[in-house]
Amino acid sequence: MEQKTAFEIQELTSDEYVLSMGPQHPATHGVLRILLRMDGEVVVNLQPDPGYIHSSIEKICENRKYDQVMPYTDRMDYLSAVSYNLAYALAVEKLMGLEVPNRGRHIRVILAEMNRIMSHLLWFAAYGIDMGALTPIWYAFRERENLITLIEMQTGNRLTHHALRIGGVKNDLPTGFVEGLNKFLENFNDMVDEYEALFIDNVIFKARTKSIGVLKKENAISYGVTGPNLRASGCDIDLRKLAPYSGYENFSFEVCSEKNGDSWDRCKIRMNEMRQSASILRQAIDTLPEGEISAKAPKIIKPTPGGCYAKVEGPRGEVGAYVVSAGTDKPYRVKFRSPSFSNLSALNEMCAGVKIADLVAIMGSLDIVIPEIDR
Amino acid sequence: MTVRELLEKIKQKAEIEDSKEDLGVLNAYVKPSSLRSLLIYMRDSLGFDWMSFMTALDMPQENTIEAVYELFSNSSKDSARIKVKLSRQAAEVETVSDIYRTAEWHEREAAEMFGITFKNHPHPENLILTPDIKAPLRKDFSGGDMKRMPE
Amino acid sequence: MENGEEMELIRELLYNSGEPLSEFYRWLHKAWAGFSVPPVFLDLMIQFAVAAAVFGFVAVNALWIIYYERKFSAKLQIRIGPNRVGPLGLLQTVADTVKLLIKEDINPSKVDRVVFILAPGIVFLGTFLTMLVIPFGNGLIAADLSIGILYILAVSGLAVIGLLAGGWASNNKYSLMGGMRSAAQIVAYEIPVLVVILGIVMLAGTMKMGGIVEAQAGYRWFVIYQPIAFLIFLIAANAEINRAPFDLPEAESELVSGFITEYSGMKFAFFFLAEYTNLFIVSAVAVTLFLGGWEGPFFPPFVWFIIKTYAVVTVLMWMRWTFPRIRVDHLMQFSWKYLLPIALVNLLVTAIVIKFI
Repeated sequence: MEQKTAFEIQELTSDEYVLSMGPQHPATHGVLRILLRMDGEVVVNLQPDPGYIHSSIEKICENRKYDQVMPYTDRMDYLSAVSYNLAYALAVEKLMGLEVPNRGRHIRVILAEMNRIMSHLLWFAAYGIDMGALTPIWYAFRERENLITLIEMQTGNRLTHHALRIGGVKNDLPTGFVEGLNKFLENFNDMVDEYEALFIDNVIFKARTKSIGVLKKENAISYGVTGPNLRASGCDIDLRKLAPYSGYENFSFEVCSEKNGDSWDRCKIRMNEMRQSASILRQAIDTLPEGEISAKAPKIIKPTPGGCYAKVEGPRGEVGAYVVSAGTDKPYRVKFRSPSFSNLSALNEMCAGVKIADLVAIMGSLDIVIPEIDR
Repeated sequence: MTVRELLEKIKQKAEIEDSKEDLGVLNAYVKPSSLRSLLIYMRDSLGFDWMSFMTALDMPQENTIEAVYELFSNSSKDSARIKVKLSRQAAEVETVSDIYRTAEWHEREAAEMFGITFKNHPHPENLILTPDIKAPLRKDFSGGDMKRMPE
Repeated sequence: MENGEEMELIRELLYNSGEPLSEFYRWLHKAWAGFSVPPVFLDLMIQFAVAAAVFGFVAVNALWIIYYERKFSAKLQIRIGPNRVGPLGLLQTVADTVKLLIKEDINPSKVDRVVFILAPGIVFLGTFLTMLVIPFGNGLIAADLSIGILYILAVSGLAVIGLLAGGWASNNKYSLMGGMRSAAQIVAYEIPVLVVILGIVMLAGTMKMGGIVEAQAGYRWFVIYQPIAFLIFLIAANAEINRAPFDLPEAESELVSGFITEYSGMKFAFFFLAEYTNLFIVSAVAVTLFLGGWEGPFFPPFVWFIIKTYAVVTVLMWMRWTFPRIRVDHLMQFSWKYLLPIALVNLLVTAIVIKFI
């Protein structure tokens, strides 16, 4: 099998060499390979090479019934399974013209925001390791564990929870869930403040991330970068505000954005987003409506022919599902738009002339999840 | 902008073969030759600064492959789905990766998954698959050891 | 010698009256004269015994310091740390060492074999030799050289050859980058250390390790006179032994493991042993130079020395588990732009004060 290479050996000048970072490297967060053209410690050029854990989910989906597709959507972004669940469910519901009852939508929002906090906490933990600080991971995991326990109460699973169904959610909130969430939210903001002071505001950390990996606004838009990475570049686009779905219009929260588009801004935004998510969770608990959790979906789902693209704001950006129905009980084609895919494609734009240590800092601040890129 | 207004506007700029409204979103089939000029016009004049994704649909019964470009406007919140019909035997279309940079990777993915050739693409090599697998997302794909899963 | 005399000798060893080691040495020679073997063999045996004692201390101390670091970091990280092997997990590092010893000794096919095998030895040698002049108590020093502190600087510089050789011989780009980083780093940080130590030598008037401690007698510890120098020493020494936040040569998230990427088994253990012994040595030198060495009330001098050393070790560990890693060019700038000028000014002020006051 021929090897994929980004640079011809003849192209290299005598000072340069090719470094293959990954597929097994501690900083690539999974099985990603990056070909680096290096001059000493400086990255001249780079070429990401994803695809090591391609799992052919889109092909599998074509051979499954509509409701059977749902568990596969968990497996793409395993750090926030609900966002893919939600995108797919919204697309199918729109094709069917199904209306989700209020309580179901509320529970979806609660789960989605819990997933967002979980995902950001894990990013915080992993970024600490990337930057050589080995302690933040334990603090972040302590908080995350509380949330996972709650999610486990609700769905029975910890990571790929398969919580949503077409038409609503699987389970109602169990007894003790709201109390547990309230207890968690009580001192969560203080914890975020503490972590920020410990790690994000550290002098060494600032020196390593400020004005490193700057992504300009127009480049970010052209590359389709979404989520916190886009908002760091001075573009306050959040699909929860811009195109509200699942009842997000009923909650008041701020869209966090920064101006410089460097790694530090991306970090700052994620910390702020955790606070905003906590605020949404508080509102959601307080205004939890009574009623059905799920609409009556038919046993065999056969949407009318047509295509629908539904998108939600995942922790990493725009998570989308493009579902094409041919009028049968199986989707004709499902395309998942994954934010990490587009975010990673902009990596080369940020990394010209940085040190290899900066490359790690930039990649970590992009918060990529590999299974979602390969799908 | 309603779907009808949008259609009227792009009709002046490009050759539209067919169009339909699908759940409130315009689906416009354009001729491959006018795809690039249409996208440039939509990006620069109509505010569709955002390409969510680019992918393809395999239609064996019509003997076509549709290349799908999902556009979105952050300012007016409009969506538009531009489609290009290509022949299955010689699926070839101009790249738009210089208009929307995000299309570069999406096109590479579509190329290897559907066997489409994107002309003038800066990195025509495979992105995700190894070169020995050809167009797995086509409906008639049968890899050597691929079996149907039990349902 | 009678039983009581032996006790007396041990007491003297601990409580520093006179020169107990040389007395012990004289007594041995007297006893040796009874046999008809040339005394040179006795000297050789004594030297071997001293070397074995130092090696034993190095090994046992490293075992303990690794266990201590794991427990200490666990406390910082709301974990428990090792608690399965032996009481309180005390035998965990022993078990790890045994595992490393019985592992297959792998030499990757593309390495430069001779250099690859020599490199851990060189690194360990540099560390091991430094141990000789650490004054654990009054007279409790393997060899109190008249150029003690200079000897430490010279011998600890050996390690960089080993690191660079290991990085080069591994034939791995990450290893080579790690080796180059460590060379650059140690060269950059040795100079502020040297300048700071010059100030201490000026104050003490001697380079003898024992003499420096004696110059601080009466609780006139040099940390009071040279607080800035103490800070510079701690930072630069931490950088010289490649520990976080200055662990660039083995930066896990960047260079996989830097120069030790290709090493495994016992060769890896030698690097590891050297790293933790270096931690102890740096702390011991800091105690000797700034914190009055073995001086302290109530406890024997040896105990005081160990207490103080472990206090400094704890501070260094605290730093390691708190800070993110510094970037390579910031590291260089920090040394050349800040530490070195401050150290030079410090030296100048010290010289002026000594001259005129």
